[in-house]
Amino acid sequence: MGMAGTWTEAEFESIFRDQFARIVRVVRRVLRSDAEAEEVCADAFLKLYRIGPDGIAEDTTGAWLYRVATRSAIDRLRRHKSRGFGEQLDASRGDVADGLESDPLCRLVREERIAEVRFALARLKAEKAQVLLLRHSGLSYQEIAAAMLIRPASVGTMLARAEAEFSKVYQRQQRLSKRAPRLQAANHEDLSLGTPTKEG
Amino acid sequence: MKHNEIDTGILRAYLDGEVNGDRVSALTEHVDTCAECQAEMKVLSSHAASVRGGLDFLPQPAAAGVAPTWSALQLRLGQPAANAPARWSPWRTWSLAAGGAVAIAAVLAFTVAPVRGWAENLLSIFRMEHIAVVELNPDAVNALENDQLMRRMISADVTQTEAPQKPQPVADAATASKLAGFQIRLIAGETPALLLFRTPISAQLKLDRDRLQSILDEAGRSDVQIPQSADGAVISMRVPAGIIAMYGNCGDAFEHFQGKQPRASAIQPEDGSCVRLNEVPSPTVTAPQQLDTAEIVRAALQFAGLSASEAANFTQTIDWTSTFVMPILHGQLSYEKVSVGGNDGALLRPKNQQSGQFTLHWVDNGILYSLMGTGDNTAALNLASQIE
Repeated sequence: MGMAGTWTEAEFESIFRDQFARIVRVVRRVLRSDAEAEEVCADAFLKLYRIGPDGIAEDTTGAWLYRVATRSAIDRLRRHKSRGFGEQLDASRGDVADGLESDPLCRLVREERIAEVRFALARLKAEKAQVLLLRHSGLSYQEIAAAMLIRPASVGTMLARAEAEFSKVYQRQQRLSKRAPRLQAANHEDLSLGTPTKEG
Repeated sequence: MKHNEIDTGILRAYLDGEVNGDRVSALTEHVDTCAECQAEMKVLSSHAASVRGGLDFLPQPAAAGVAPTWSALQLRLGQPAANAPARWSPWRTWSLAAGGAVAIAAVLAFTVAPVRGWAENLLSIFRMEHIAVVELNPDAVNALENDQLMRRMISADVTQTEAPQKPQPVADAATASKLAGFQIRLIAGETPALLLFRTPISAQLKLDRDRLQSILDEAGRSDVQIPQSADGAVISMRVPAGIIAMYGNCGDAFEHFQGKQPRASAIQPEDGSCVRLNEVPSPTVTAPQQLDTAEIVRAALQFAGLSASEAANFTQTIDWTSTFVMPILHGQLSYEKVSVGGNDGALLRPKNQQSGQFTLHWVDNGILYSLMGTGDNTAALNLASQIE
């Protein structure tokens, strides 16, 4: 450790290289681009750096980063309301790697699905959206408890409540989307505007 | 295992294989024969499947750009957090102080352990009778502002119950006193060029437990835990009606207060003869009783950038229920403790400026005074002594 209260660059780089990719993987799910996810995570690391090792309890750095980065991502998600929750899928990327999804209509359907899921997450209290995001990104109850500063025994209850609420909002959103004429309208537009890309 | 020992959380954990090993067999034995538990697990499974089905649609990153992000981050590590220059104005100080009061009240509220209730009869009112200056690290304050953490905390859950109005000119001291509800005081032998009445401002802060916890977490104060029961509690703050008196040539100050932007060619700068005097009865903050105020304010000060020992030293000397804490940014203002008519005051000046501008704050008989002008300390204190 460096001077009291500061990280040495070597130890901070070690934390960064150890944690960055896994945290980006989680927050990317609710953000609109890889670049935005990396930005949110980089900001979380910068906060960690400025807080210094004394500001974090021992062995909780990863949990702290999960908490701060996912919370920041969810706050951003909520602010995206005015711009819509979907994202423009890039057919050249792994998002749409299979042949079907390189089709513009399939891509449009998937973009709408993504928007529905993000809309439902944005409707939840941030803490509930966070627990869903963490659990469904593969974190154990122990890891979630550490990240959210709750008792491990409370994770099941919180998760069950969050899942019930999400399901309700998501299913209602799906019903509304089925009624909405967006897809039909889009179907009649010139879909060739989004040039299909055949993979491999 | 008995049925009444099983709740939704345990069943949800059981579905995920997250129940402790020694309890699994007892739980399995019960669930296998309990229709009610089986029905609940079916619902839980259905909700979990719905979430999984939804979240599986969400994209994964192609590959995290570890190396380029680290290179970019390295450049930021050496930079100060500030990227917007902190501007000094009396209103900034007041709003920071008011914001600080609300923030401190909010922090106060959730430290009642355990929080037994939020009924009106548990509330007490703090009235400010003294002034204390606390120097904050501008990097920390700017980081808060740039991250909009403080703004989010103050704005998102605040309802203005009395919105601020534009100050209105009044004819004389008697009218101003009548409108403001207290006997105003002016500089003896001087007639103000302009006398303005400012309406009261009041606001309620509804505590959002998630938001506050997140702010604490991001501030590295994860050790402070906000109880769930604090969620939704209401804190009230009121800045009573006050007056602003201006003397000498204060340029476009009135237009400024009215929110008007004069054309560049028509800007009238104030000069060294301008003196402004603000008077307002002590703001009040209504917050829960039974508080360990020193402990909490210490956390709030650390949150604002003081070290643990600085915060501890500062809090030991302050009665938080009666002190108006004026935050100033280290390196941008100098201050001195002074005495105005036997009351503690703070004389502040911008650093690195030759203009000789000062702001003098003090509290007398429950009224907060701010006097702004140009001159040395003796001139400032002489001017203050002439207020009657």
